[in-house]
Amino acid sequence: MFIKENLKMAIDSIFANKMRSFLTMLGIIIGIASVIAILAVGNGAADEITRTFSDIGATTISLNANDPEQSGDLISNEDLNVLRDSIDEIRYISPNETTSGNISSVDESRQAVISYGTPDLQFVSQSMSSTLVEGRYFNQVDFDESQDVIVIDEDGAEALFGTTDVIGETLRVTVAQSQMNLRIVGVVEGSFGDMQGAFDTSQIPLFAAMPQSTLGNQVPQMAGMDTVSIEVESTDQIDTVSSQVVRLLELRNNAVGDNVYNATNFLQALDQVNNVLSLFINFIAAVAAIALLVGGIGVMNIMLVSVTERTREIGTRKALGATTRTILVQFLMESIILSLIGGMIGLTLGIILSNIIAGALDIVPIITLGSVALVLLFSTAVGVFFGIYPARKAARLNPIDALRYE
Amino acid sequence: MIEITDIEKIYKMGGETVRALDKVSLKIQEGEFTSIMGPSGSGKSTLMNILGLLDRFDNGRYLLNGTDVSDLSDAELAGIRNKEIGFVFQSFNLMARMNVLENVMLPLVYGKVPYKERRRRATEALEKVGLGNRLEHLTNEISGGQKQRVAIARAIVNEPSVLMADEPTGNLDSKTTEDIMRIFQELNEEGTTIVMVTHEPEMAEYTKRIVHFRDGVMKKDEQLTPKQIPKREVE
Repeated sequence: MFIKENLKMAIDSIFANKMRSFLTMLGIIIGIASVIAILAVGNGAADEITRTFSDIGATTISLNANDPEQSGDLISNEDLNVLRDSIDEIRYISPNETTSGNISSVDESRQAVISYGTPDLQFVSQSMSSTLVEGRYFNQVDFDESQDVIVIDEDGAEALFGTTDVIGETLRVTVAQSQMNLRIVGVVEGSFGDMQGAFDTSQIPLFAAMPQSTLGNQVPQMAGMDTVSIEVESTDQIDTVSSQVVRLLELRNNAVGDNVYNATNFLQALDQVNNVLSLFINFIAAVAAIALLVGGIGVMNIMLVSVTERTREIGTRKALGATTRTILVQFLMESIILSLIGGMIGLTLGIILSNIIAGALDIVPIITLGSVALVLLFSTAVGVFFGIYPARKAARLNPIDALRYE
Repeated sequence: MIEITDIEKIYKMGGETVRALDKVSLKIQEGEFTSIMGPSGSGKSTLMNILGLLDRFDNGRYLLNGTDVSDLSDAELAGIRNKEIGFVFQSFNLMARMNVLENVMLPLVYGKVPYKERRRRATEALEKVGLGNRLEHLTNEISGGQKQRVAIARAIVNEPSVLMADEPTGNLDSKTTEDIMRIFQELNEEGTTIVMVTHEPEMAEYTKRIVHFRDGVMKKDEQLTPKQIPKREVE
C-alpha cells in the first residue's frame, strides 16, 4: 500500500466530516495550545528572571559571617583591605548592610532604607542605582574621616525637597534613636521610574546610602560587619574567589573549619528560583496534558464510530484485496493525521496565545524548536496510541461479516 | 480452473447445527458463464463466498487454478482475491468519497501497481463498460446502472481469472438489468469466466449453465443456450 494513497484517503475521510473532525480535534487543539503557551510564557519568564538577576549580580559574591558565640566584628575593615589587596579578581568589596530609619528635610519627613558600607557600596548595592545624576558618591576620604555625608536618589530628593537640585542640603537622619545631620553630596537615579504616578508612593520608604564609619560612630552596634558584597570581573571567577575569600578570612581570624564564613552568590539563588519556576511550569504543563489525554479519548471514540460506519467499506476493501495490515495502516494513518492536524492548529493557537499572555506580562515568549518538535511528536503519539485499538478492530473484521453489515 | 470436492460449511446456531453446504462438488472450466440458482437459504451465497475466498469451509477441497487454497493465510487469500477474483455486489459497494476512476483503480492500489499504469488500466476498463466519459464523476452523481458498470470495471481491471457476481441486478430496473447482462455476455465472449448467483430464473437464462441449489445440496446442473439481448445503444 502506498503512503500517498493512505494519506489521501485519510485526509479525504477527515474532510468528509468537517464538523465532526473539528470537534474531535478540539481536545487536542486545546491541550496542545495550552502546553505550548505555558512552556513559551514560562520559558520567557525564566529568561527574564535570569536576565534581571544577571544585571544585578551574576558577578556578585555575598559573604556572610555567622558565629553563634560571637556577634559583631567578625569581619574587620582590615580584613576588607587585605582581601582587596591580595585577590586580584576582586573589583569591588563593601559591607552591604541596610537599616531602617527616618530622613527629613525642613519640610518633609519620611521612612527610609539606609544602606551603609565603603565607597564600593555604590557598585554592589542592590537597593540603589549606581548612576549619578547630581554630585558624587561618598568617597574614601569621607569614609576614612567619617564625614557627615549622605547620598539619596531622585525619588527621595523629589519627595523631600521637590527638586533634584539638592547638593549641599542638610538631611536629618534618625537611626536607632541617634540623630545625625548629614550633607547631601550626590543624587543617583531613582527606582520608582514608571511606577511614579501609577499609585501613591508616599508610604514607600526612600533609599539612602552613607559611609559605615559615619553611622558606626553614632550607632555602635552598626560598626561591625557580617554581610559583605564582593564584585568580581566575570561569572566564571565566582567559585574560585569565593573559596579564596573564605579561606583567607578563616586564616586571619583563626577560624579554619569553624564554618563561620560563608560565600554565596546569585547564581545559586537563580538556580533555586529557576528550579521552583520549572517545577511550576511542569506542573501546569502536566495539567494541560490531561486535556490532551481527553482529546486522545475523543479521537479513539470517533475512530470507533468511523470503523462501525464503514464496516461495509472495510469488507469491500478486503474483497478487493486489502490485507489486515493495509486496513490497519489506513485507519491508523487516519487517527494520526487527525491528531496531527489538531496538533498543528493547537501549535498555531498556542503561539498566538503565548504572545498575547507574554505581551500582557511584558516578557518575551520563548518557543523553542524542541517544544514544537515535542508537541508534534506528542500528537502523533496520541494518534497512534488512541488509534491502534479502533484500527485493529477494523483490520480484524471478517470480510464476510463486514460485507453483510447493514 | 475451479474445482471443489465435497465442500461442507456448517453453522452452529444455538444448539442447532445447520449445514449450509452439504458435500458440494463442482467444476467450472475457463470461459464458462455459470449461474448458481436457488431460493434464499439454499446455500448459493455461501458457496459464492467460499468460491470468492471471502469465507472458509469446514470440510472438502478447493483447487483454484490447481492451487489448494484451504491452508492459505489471510494475507495470501487477500492476494489471490486481488489478482484472480473480481467481485460485483448487489449493492455496488463503491467508495462514496472517491470518483469513478479512483474506485476502479482501488484493486490496483492494493496490487501495488504504479499510478500511471493504474490510471491507464482503469480508464481502459471503464471504456469497456461504456463509462470512458465519466472518469471524474463522484459515485453519487451517477445512476444505479452506471454504478454497477463502475463496479464491473473495478472487478475486471486486474484481469482476474474469474468474475463473481452476487445478485448483480437485484437493485436495478429491467432496462438497466439488460444492459448489465449484456456487458457480462460480452465479457464472457471475450473469454472472461463468470459465476453469477441469482434467485431469478430470468437472469439465469442469460447464462450458459445453471446450477440449482436447495438446502445446501446441488440439485441440478444444466447447460443451455443463453438468451440473446437485442443490441441497444447504452447511455
